[in-house]
Amino acid sequence: MDWRRFGFIFLVIAVLFGVVVAIGSKADSPVLIITSMLATTIAVATPLTLGALSGIFCERAGVVNIGIEGMMLGAAFFGWLAAIYMNTIFGFAPLPSLLIGVLFAMLSGGLFALLHAVLSVTYKVDQIIGGTVINILAVGVTGFLNRQLFFEKGSIFGGQVPHAPGVLPRIQIPFLADIPVAGRIFDQQPITIAAILLVIIAHYVLFYTPWGLRTRAVGEHPRAADTVGINVAFMRYANVVIGGMLAGLGGAYFTLESVPSFEPLMTNGRGFISLAAMIFGNWSPFGAWAASLVFGTAQALQINLQFYRPLIPDQWAFLQNSYIVGLAPYILTMLILTGIIGKTTPPAADGVPYEK
Amino acid sequence: MLKKLYLVLALVMVAALLLPACAPAAPDCASADVFCVGLVTDVGKIDDKSFNQSTWEGVQQAKEEGVADQVQYIETTDAKDYDKNIATFADANYDVIVTVGFALGEASNAAAAKYPEVDFIGVDQFVEWPFDDDASNDLANFAGLNFPEDNAGFLVGALAAMMSESGKIGSVCGTDAVPPVWRFGEGYRAGAAYIDPAVEVTVVYHSDVGFDKTFTDPEWGAATANSMIDKGVDVIFGAGGKTGNGAVTAAAQRGVYAIGVDTDQYLTLPEAAPRLLSSAMKLLTPGTFDLIKLSKEGSFPSGNYYGSAGYAPFHDLENEVPAEVKTKMEEINAGLLDGSITTGVPPVKPE
Amino acid sequence: MPEIDTKQAPQSGLSGIIKEAINSPLLVPLLAILTAMVVGGVIIAMVGGNPFAAYLGLAQGAFGSFKALSETAVWASPYIFAGLAVALAFKGGLFNIGAEGQLALGAVTSAWVGYALPDMLGITLPPILHISLTIGAGILAGALWAAIPGALKAYTGGHEVINTIMMNYIALNMVSFLLNGPMKDRTPGNVIARTPEIAESARIPIIFEGLRVHWGFVLALFIAFLAWWLLWKTTVGFEIRTVGMNPDAAKYAGINVKRTIVLTMALSGLLAGMAGAIEVTGLNYRHELGFSIGYGFDAIAIALLGKTHPLGVVLAAILFAGMRNGGTRMQFLTQIPVDIISVIQALILLFVAADAIIRYIYRIKVEEERVTLTRGWGG
Repeated sequence: MDWRRFGFIFLVIAVLFGVVVAIGSKADSPVLIITSMLATTIAVATPLTLGALSGIFCERAGVVNIGIEGMMLGAAFFGWLAAIYMNTIFGFAPLPSLLIGVLFAMLSGGLFALLHAVLSVTYKVDQIIGGTVINILAVGVTGFLNRQLFFEKGSIFGGQVPHAPGVLPRIQIPFLADIPVAGRIFDQQPITIAAILLVIIAHYVLFYTPWGLRTRAVGEHPRAADTVGINVAFMRYANVVIGGMLAGLGGAYFTLESVPSFEPLMTNGRGFISLAAMIFGNWSPFGAWAASLVFGTAQALQINLQFYRPLIPDQWAFLQNSYIVGLAPYILTMLILTGIIGKTTPPAADGVPYEK
Repeated sequence: MLKKLYLVLALVMVAALLLPACAPAAPDCASADVFCVGLVTDVGKIDDKSFNQSTWEGVQQAKEEGVADQVQYIETTDAKDYDKNIATFADANYDVIVTVGFALGEASNAAAAKYPEVDFIGVDQFVEWPFDDDASNDLANFAGLNFPEDNAGFLVGALAAMMSESGKIGSVCGTDAVPPVWRFGEGYRAGAAYIDPAVEVTVVYHSDVGFDKTFTDPEWGAATANSMIDKGVDVIFGAGGKTGNGAVTAAAQRGVYAIGVDTDQYLTLPEAAPRLLSSAMKLLTPGTFDLIKLSKEGSFPSGNYYGSAGYAPFHDLENEVPAEVKTKMEEINAGLLDGSITTGVPPVKPE
Repeated sequence: MPEIDTKQAPQSGLSGIIKEAINSPLLVPLLAILTAMVVGGVIIAMVGGNPFAAYLGLAQGAFGSFKALSETAVWASPYIFAGLAVALAFKGGLFNIGAEGQLALGAVTSAWVGYALPDMLGITLPPILHISLTIGAGILAGALWAAIPGALKAYTGGHEVINTIMMNYIALNMVSFLLNGPMKDRTPGNVIARTPEIAESARIPIIFEGLRVHWGFVLALFIAFLAWWLLWKTTVGFEIRTVGMNPDAAKYAGINVKRTIVLTMALSGLLAGMAGAIEVTGLNYRHELGFSIGYGFDAIAIALLGKTHPLGVVLAAILFAGMRNGGTRMQFLTQIPVDIISVIQALILLFVAADAIIRYIYRIKVEEERVTLTRGWGG
């Protein structure tokens, strides 16, 4: 991804931060505001980063995956369910229950992804339709099970949702978290930290390992890859499942890290925005992460503007309207897609089923 | 093989057309000695651990104590279905229909006019018609169950101001377009000011999303609470269904004081229990039960019926609350009840 | 639409009818529905319910009385329009996920014309005129909203899937803003985010006294017919379908591909906007925040189930409407959560999309031409 685009992204983030500092500095110090915004941004960008990584693995191998939303939602539900079962029925302590929950979330993501792979690679179903099917299936299954398992027939209302074992604990990174004020940035939860590490790992795997090379070959020139002896179908299956597990980790963020409860449709479009982040970032891990941070900043902006609402000067009254502020990321994405800010180049064989 | 398949298909289709006639029978509420109570929720969820749940518990209590013979609920999934869902109970000859939530007000009043033999209990539905001089629009079969939420908010606001060490307290609420939520939030602000006007109170309302989301967005609640805590807030009052719950659990996780809403959330939110200072309660369960009982006894009070409000016990934090604070709380509570202290909060948000 | 390769001449008699039925395009969707309901029944049984009682309750709620039929028709109207919108886009090789946003804008624009116009002009309008203007405003809004991603795709190559999804969020934000602000119903005592009621003159009349079904449903059927006629009996329709099947061939045949893409999206948005407009003028008489959530995805399922053919879409829409409507009754009678309907609908979609699964189960060997509906991001 070129420097022009990175530059643009950081410019946008800086502007958004600047707005909040300008307004809030009457009440709090700029350092505090920037720290708080940054801490929030990094946290809320987590599902987007993981979703984007998921998309990258799938698409670099040539499979379009718009089912990330459904995979995340399913993972959020099943991971949460597993944590509750471990805690209430098997009597595990909260932390192990949560960790097992994360494992199940990733497993769930992987299974949904396997379905997508079967549909796309073996049955050669149109991949966008396949992704849509995953989304609709996830919504239906999680909604149904959520209702059915916790409100049994008979005493329809009687069943209470058993209590979830809380959320994953915060980890304070040694040294860095002790910095006065700014240390708050380094006080994050495990999945958030894992997401950042995975960006680095994904970049390394995709561009510096044989596996990554084969993956990209399968996504750019499957026929050539086939001739050289690479098993196209296997690579596609494997990468889609890896993508599914990453999406699953993203889903775990919602119910095991952010809040200890499940809401139907709680992913709220984050899966689709991850796709936008992936495209924004030109199918590269660092690019996608940067793009996720833009979206995260926009969310942090909305939260902080509501907090500083009374301080917004009249000329900028439109900022009080979080609808308008909330539009920024979407318009930005569309702008990026037009190619004004550098070309976007998807993998050449992306979305095309491979016929031997 | 395929011929057989088609035969089966044909039979299934014919059966499907005939079968609606033999659908399972609904329970017989039309008879005078079967007293049926139905509950219709808003689009928020029934398991929100506060509002809808407490009302339902009042209905269930009616069944347990033998006041009602049959009780059932319908969860509304789409605001378009309010009329349809109410009608489902009314057409099945239910005796009392409880509609939960302010957004159902219009549909409930319309239904009350249409089905005069059914008694309607509208939770959080304030009606204006007792106050106009026009008796023709009064509905004898409608009672709006309302609560002085601002008093409850006032109480916990005072508590928060007294217990805060940083001098900054906050509240994360649902949309202020819903009057009870507005009253909770502004009552909180007024209560803090009553104790010490220098305390910084930040009340954030989730007015930027629709009614379908404003009470079911715990993630936003948690993120907002975290953001507040970053700025030094050390007591957080969550008032708005699951959105508020998100804020309360996040506050507890960060180790600051949390205050719940509607019922004693110490019991319903155990993950927040260790830091749950109190809850601003509106006593929905007894209020609902009382009205159902009055309906059964034939003395249903039409118009606005007022339930009571209060604050929940300190539970685990009993020893952290100084004695002077406890005394002051009792003093304020008494003052609100006998009218010597008023909150000054307008009933709805001014335009 | 997939071509069926049947080399037999039509045969007479019952076996002939059955052979025709086997090869008819209705077969796979019907079997998909049947299989999904069987799987759904198994799930219901697994959680302790009685599938037969559940489906009985569902059928009763969907078709068991005049009131039920009326309610099903009420749900079906927006489904037909939205389904046609997505189906038409598919025919043109485009995936319109933006039906949700186009519908919302169509609704809010119609509502505005419905309640604001008489006051602005200071006169009462004759219903025919007012209703036409109201619906017209809605379809225009929808068409414009879809034309934007259409133009972006045609002239910059930006893929319509992401762009329409973004447009959805923008539209929903805009509608939130309008309904909480300039267009909010200011009658004293109201705090809900909704428009004022539209004038009497802007309302579509109901068909039968006492039932909610209105002439918009009939209009929906008529528009479905028009869509069929457009696609198969006009030049424009031919161009759309050709671009959908093979844009390169279309270009060599002299068709202006870029213009066709924009036109296809605009028409698709027009239909989605009509869905919103009809809901406002025929059913709700206003637009409220939270109405019309979810029609966008249902429309995709309906379009695919109906094999992107207008007649199929109508049938699929009625089926989905029946399931949605009957679900509440099913829950009321049998306490089975209404969400099972979503699961069944998802399964139907799964089986329709991966029709090879159905073929394998039922040993159907008809070879169908594979139509690639979309081609990844490269476009």
